[in-house]
Amino acid sequence: MQQQLQQIIAKATKALKPVVELDLLDEIRVQYLGKKGELTLMMRILGKLSNEERPKAGQIINEAKQKVQNLLNDKKVQLEMAVLEKQLTEESVDVTLPGRSITVGGLHPVTRTLRRIEEIFFKAGFDIETGPEIEDDWHNFEALNIPKTHPARAMHDTFYFDESTVLRTHTSGVQIRAMEKKDGPMRIIAPGRVYRHDSDQTHTPMFHQVEGLILEKNASFAQLRTLIIDFLRKFFEDDDLKVRFRPSYFPFTEPSAEVDIATNLFGDGRWIEVLGCGMVHPNVLKNVDVDAEKYTGLAFGLGVERLAMLRYGVTDLRQFFENDLRFLKQFK
Amino acid sequence: MKLSENWLREWINPDWDTQTLAEELSLAGLEVDGIDGVVAEFTNVVVGKVVSVEKHPDANKLNITTVDVGELEPLQIVCGAKNVDAGILVCCAKVGAVLPGNFKIKAAKLCGVDSNGMLCGATEIGLADNGVDGLYCLPSDAPIGMDIRQYLDLDDKVIDVDLTPNRADCLSVEGIARDISAISGLKVSQPFTNNVEVIKNGECSQLVSVNEPVACPKYLGCMVINFDSSAKTPLWMKRRLERSSVTPKNLIVDVTNYVLIELGQPMHAYDADKLTGNLQVRFAHDREKMITFDGKELKLQKKSLVIADDAGVIALAGIMGGLSTAVSSDTKNIFFECANFNSSVITGRARQYGLHTDSSHRFERGVDSFLPERAMERALDLFTKVAGGKVSKIIAEVSENNLYKPKEIQLRPERITKLLGVVIADKRVEEIFNSLNFTINKNSTGWGMIAPTYRYDMEIEADLIEEIGRVFGYNNLPEIDIEAPLRLPKVTESAQDLYLIKKHLASQGFNEIITYSFVEEGFQYKLMPSISAINLKNPISDDMKSMRTTLFPGLLNTIAYNQNRQQVALKLFEAGLVFINQDDTLDNLVQEPMLSGAMVGNLEVSNWAQKNKMVDFYDLKAQVEAILTISDLIDEVSFVPQNISIFHPGQSAAIIKNGEQIGSLGQLHPALVKDAGVAGKVFMFDLKQSAILAIKVPLAVAISKFPAVQRDLAFIVEQDLPVQKLIDTLQNYPSSILKTIEIFDVYQGDGLEKNKKSIAISFRIQHETRTLQDEEIDNLMLNLINLAEETVFAELKYEYKIGK
Repeated sequence: MQQQLQQIIAKATKALKPVVELDLLDEIRVQYLGKKGELTLMMRILGKLSNEERPKAGQIINEAKQKVQNLLNDKKVQLEMAVLEKQLTEESVDVTLPGRSITVGGLHPVTRTLRRIEEIFFKAGFDIETGPEIEDDWHNFEALNIPKTHPARAMHDTFYFDESTVLRTHTSGVQIRAMEKKDGPMRIIAPGRVYRHDSDQTHTPMFHQVEGLILEKNASFAQLRTLIIDFLRKFFEDDDLKVRFRPSYFPFTEPSAEVDIATNLFGDGRWIEVLGCGMVHPNVLKNVDVDAEKYTGLAFGLGVERLAMLRYGVTDLRQFFENDLRFLKQFK
Repeated sequence: MKLSENWLREWINPDWDTQTLAEELSLAGLEVDGIDGVVAEFTNVVVGKVVSVEKHPDANKLNITTVDVGELEPLQIVCGAKNVDAGILVCCAKVGAVLPGNFKIKAAKLCGVDSNGMLCGATEIGLADNGVDGLYCLPSDAPIGMDIRQYLDLDDKVIDVDLTPNRADCLSVEGIARDISAISGLKVSQPFTNNVEVIKNGECSQLVSVNEPVACPKYLGCMVINFDSSAKTPLWMKRRLERSSVTPKNLIVDVTNYVLIELGQPMHAYDADKLTGNLQVRFAHDREKMITFDGKELKLQKKSLVIADDAGVIALAGIMGGLSTAVSSDTKNIFFECANFNSSVITGRARQYGLHTDSSHRFERGVDSFLPERAMERALDLFTKVAGGKVSKIIAEVSENNLYKPKEIQLRPERITKLLGVVIADKRVEEIFNSLNFTINKNSTGWGMIAPTYRYDMEIEADLIEEIGRVFGYNNLPEIDIEAPLRLPKVTESAQDLYLIKKHLASQGFNEIITYSFVEEGFQYKLMPSISAINLKNPISDDMKSMRTTLFPGLLNTIAYNQNRQQVALKLFEAGLVFINQDDTLDNLVQEPMLSGAMVGNLEVSNWAQKNKMVDFYDLKAQVEAILTISDLIDEVSFVPQNISIFHPGQSAAIIKNGEQIGSLGQLHPALVKDAGVAGKVFMFDLKQSAILAIKVPLAVAISKFPAVQRDLAFIVEQDLPVQKLIDTLQNYPSSILKTIEIFDVYQGDGLEKNKKSIAISFRIQHETRTLQDEEIDNLMLNLINLAEETVFAELKYEYKIGK
């Protein structure tokens, strides 16, 4: 029996050798291990054996079955590997060819800059407010301590629709609207488009500002300066940014300052003005019924295009509104 | 305001170089806009005296000169200038000199004759062209051998100070010197003495009456007669005026301008022989006429303050003099006016007449009411020193009560600390206000401060505190963080962030643009004739006159701009306000935030794997649907065919939510392509931001555990039936088990009648709590088929098989 088993194993081994298809493998399995397989049939011999011989003989046949099963398994693995191998070869592509293109667009650099400013202030607890762009005289001028005859109106080069309706010249009107709505304390910024009747190489008739207002019981000018320096250093991600404050004049703040930073954009480290700020003028507070003895207001107005130019190395302001794709595509 | 640095240093001379001086001024609030040299750099040019002139033997146009430059031997210089003459003093560039443009002067031979230098014309040493064809001649008293830069004060610098409207007190050399004094601690030294003896031995023959003492609280007048009318403005005075960008005219005008810049007091000089009768300071009669000295005729308004004589208006007070009484080179007798006009009377007047003068600029902002006396003396002194003459007594019409006098302002030390955030010692506060020439009255709560009469900008305590900050130095303030209670931000989940939609569009290949909010009226009207726009009264130009009622003009202009620059595959969007005028009153103006986009050209950049596919309506609609999906609106809106004038009538839809239009989309009307200057088919959409930014906070429902069944049907309908109509019909069928209806094919052509199309629809059917029976599915399907047949006359393409 032993010998017979050896012969069957040898035959199976021989039969398996040339097999290259998985289907054939199954036929071979049936031939040896199936219900009527050669090895299965060997089990029938057991019935003819004595009780003493039977376990031993059973073990030997099972071992032989196992052996053939192992041979089949090994072959199966081998064939599957071959199939996979073939599939992999067939499916190989030239990975150096570019992908089917998906064009990705981008946001306007002004939006990108605005978002950056908003993020910095929002995370510090500032609310973001907006206001109308066609504004009334009260919110754009009168409430901001700029009466009709004030020489400062000449600084503004206003676009107007009628005597009391203008395109807002600054986002400062939003601080009036915010204080009309709500008493202090408050921390807001107001981003948006503003308009001045001015158009040349360094001026566009429309540009963007972010107005900021803090109304607190004990806010001081020194704190405003600290905040502005902090903002500029965070915005430009430069802890050593040189910042200077110059006394200036806005009818709606007192004291007032203009703020310059030292820039190398033009290669000479010159001072470039980036914003104006100050403490809200008591007349402005009075106009919105805020007690100037109780609250002090810190206000600032950032020029967004100026910051974008300095941050991204844009040297011509007008590019922002030409919308040349070759320019815009640089901002993903 | 521009001024000569050396003039300023005559008044106060801190130990600062020019750069430092400019920096200090800027940091004190007087922003220096620029510092310019008065001429280009050059070296080694000196005052020379032409000793002899001989014709060059071999060159017709040349002369051989000898020039005394203060050295042992005179120089021999060959010169081609026509006006060379023995005895004149000239600018002589010596050998080794470098003239502007890096022109080096070397010893040379000109037509065989040695020449050791060059005699210069004005432009050769960088001076303005003086109209002389030839050498720049110097006065006979010029010291021979002196460096020209020193003699003509050419190392001087022009400082351009950009003053804010509150600092009118600094619109003069003296004013700026005063501020430097406050920050440097040095004293101002006035370079002349007051009350110089101008011989005032005669009564003033000209009478003046001030009818409006509030408007004109002080009027000084003075006659000067018998002067040398040939006297010329001295060089130094011309130089200083030129450096302040004032063109010298004649001695009389130059003196008044000099005083204006030096002290800040506007003056006027009349030709006394042209005055008729007495002068009056009064308001103009309505429509009264005046011709300004530069020949412009003005029709005056009632509220304009004027100076008039018996013949009519001779000057617009504080703004500009008239032609009829203007001084000229023939003037023999002068009447000088030096007055104080109330700023409220001058403000806005000049602009009303389209004028802006150095005088109106100052009076509008406020001029020291105690300056006229000093200014008159200074002018008379300057004038008579050059031209002599007999000076009358000064007449003065003064209304003491109406003179501007700053009021006392209370300053509290605790308020200084509160506003500035730093404690300033009382002694330092007093020092600061002393240096600013305030009158200080100490009292129980601090100080009563009275500003000097030239400070019109001191009104409230905060103004005083700014002065302290300014002199203390803003940049010397300590860094202190803001302390405020910690409050968490309000984060409204139902408020969609526009930025996220913008980001989505960018990832879909769109570039964001920002265009002007004002557009060309005619173009916009052609695009959207039904919406009425609001126009600017004073546009920059005609093509920027109308406020946009839609974002389409900006998108189309940008497409045209880029197509002209070989950028043809374009996907663009813009977010911003549009302005819609509901009626003519501006009261019901709507300022609506919109989001709008456009696509034109290839859908994707063509590449090795994909053929060019041009954008079509459904590419656009997919983008709009994606936005609506992000905004959780897709199930609430319908796309309704609608003829919108800007769009192709067959490719134009309104986006409707709850009966309200929230947007539109379509192909640009082919008839508008040419007007828009674009090429190809442009597809555009717009959406109201208010609609897409309000989203629902999700409310979850349980997922059914039971299997879903899918049934597909193909309907044949009329070709012009909008598919949406069929979908709406099916969707309106009340059924809790019909979950989704999806179109998976639309077909027209072979096998179908003409004017018919087939729409293949897939239905997903599912019960929440149990497995469905075939019967209920069939019932539902048969009902849907009936409904489609009844409502939109849809026929089935293939028969419905029960239970399949």
